[in-house]
Amino acid sequence: MKSFSRGGVSLFVMFLCMVFCSFGYVHSAKAAGAEKVIVFAAASTTNAVTEIGELFSKNTTCRVVPSFASSSTLAKQIDNGAPADVYISANPKWMTFLDDKGLIEKTSRSDILGNRIVLIAPAPGELKIDIHPGFKLLEILGDDRLSMGDPDHVPAGIYGKQALTNLGVWDEIAPKLVRAKDVRTALVFVERGEVPLGIVYSTDAAITDKVRVVGVFPEDFHPPITYQAAIVKGNNMETGRAFLAFLKSPEAKNIFQKYGFLTK
Amino acid sequence: MDFLTLTPFETEALLLSLKVSLWAVFVSLVPGIVAAWILARKKFYGKAFFDSLIHLPLVLPPVVTGYFLLVLLGKKGVVGGFIFKLTGISFAFNWKGAAIASAVMAFPLFVRAVRLSLEAVDVGLEAAARTLGASKIRIFFTITLPLILPGILTGMILAFARSLSEFGATITFVSNIPGETRTLPLALYTMTQVPDGETSAMRLCIISVVTAFFALTASDFLSQRLSKMVKGD
Repeated sequence: MKSFSRGGVSLFVMFLCMVFCSFGYVHSAKAAGAEKVIVFAAASTTNAVTEIGELFSKNTTCRVVPSFASSSTLAKQIDNGAPADVYISANPKWMTFLDDKGLIEKTSRSDILGNRIVLIAPAPGELKIDIHPGFKLLEILGDDRLSMGDPDHVPAGIYGKQALTNLGVWDEIAPKLVRAKDVRTALVFVERGEVPLGIVYSTDAAITDKVRVVGVFPEDFHPPITYQAAIVKGNNMETGRAFLAFLKSPEAKNIFQKYGFLTK
Repeated sequence: MDFLTLTPFETEALLLSLKVSLWAVFVSLVPGIVAAWILARKKFYGKAFFDSLIHLPLVLPPVVTGYFLLVLLGKKGVVGGFIFKLTGISFAFNWKGAAIASAVMAFPLFVRAVRLSLEAVDVGLEAAARTLGASKIRIFFTITLPLILPGILTGMILAFARSLSEFGATITFVSNIPGETRTLPLALYTMTQVPDGETSAMRLCIISVVTAFFALTASDFLSQRLSKMVKGD
């Protein structure tokens, strides 16, 4: 009994030490990050914005801390007081949502990128699909499903729904959807061959060689896909402004184009 | 009284949640009791490893478990592909997959509860039965099983409650399909993602709370009745 309690006490002391060490860790991280810019960016820009952030950190002394999720998630987080300095949305709707609440600097809001949505399939195969009104998507799918971002809230899914609706095939496809929680998850389902077809941005198709683009949705069947960026109101707006300006620089544009974006 | 009527969207999510959770508990029953029996009664090389393996879903991020399930049990997965070829049953993107995800997440809780009650069983009773000539199987069904029944029930309740709240593994493994895999937590998640979904989200929160509360109270009542029966009061 005695040795047990001694063991228990030393375990408890160890635990306390760890707690206090981690406390210290948070504080030193705060001290080192005196100059940083927190960027909330749409999941589809993950690779490009990470690379641009690294370049920006190298050029200036300012550290870029990116946070990637679906545009809707990020907008909700900012609405609830998340400490973002710059917000990059894959859909003007969510930027308007924040704008209406007075959370972003109106004058800084601007279109920075364009994108396309495409139909993809797992890499091995020859299939090409001509996308035109009334095309036989359901026939091609057979018993399988089509993966895309959830058309209720994921921008890539919303564009996909608009395109399929205008092409006149939405009603028959709607029950056959796999509604992914973001566009990258929709991509993974196709990469792994769990579904034969998916709808993602052309930029998502460009980052992996496990999928193939089988058709590009004609631009006149969905609203233009526009990425907007803006400065989030707060006490770090100057660094936010510097990063936003950098996003529009030729260096940043090169990186965006490398990942398949159309730059404005 | 409009706010007391469930919308079709809510009814669908609620009924699906109950179906998925009931099946998750049902498929865990036999493997769970076997695993608990092995852990409580057997000594073998690698037991610690087996123990950790069973408890893994309890400590792993649910998304990791969900991804493992996709890789293993998807239509193109190692095990899932085999099962699909053999039986034509697929777990990808349907309620069966959602039930499997819930079952895996809830399994450690069930095993733990059953194991504890197995360890509390007086082995003297089993030994006495053996001296009277009862077979091992007969001893298990006439002595051990009735004694651990309250433990099994507790385990089932825990597993059921855990299944009702399962989110991460489900959305990663079988995505968010209305009427197929969109259970209460997933419906709630969807509503928090839609710009004007706050009211719906709040309603779903309340439905979740009421369901969980009702399930716990009912099961508490049942388990008290059962322990009284076992003790013969």
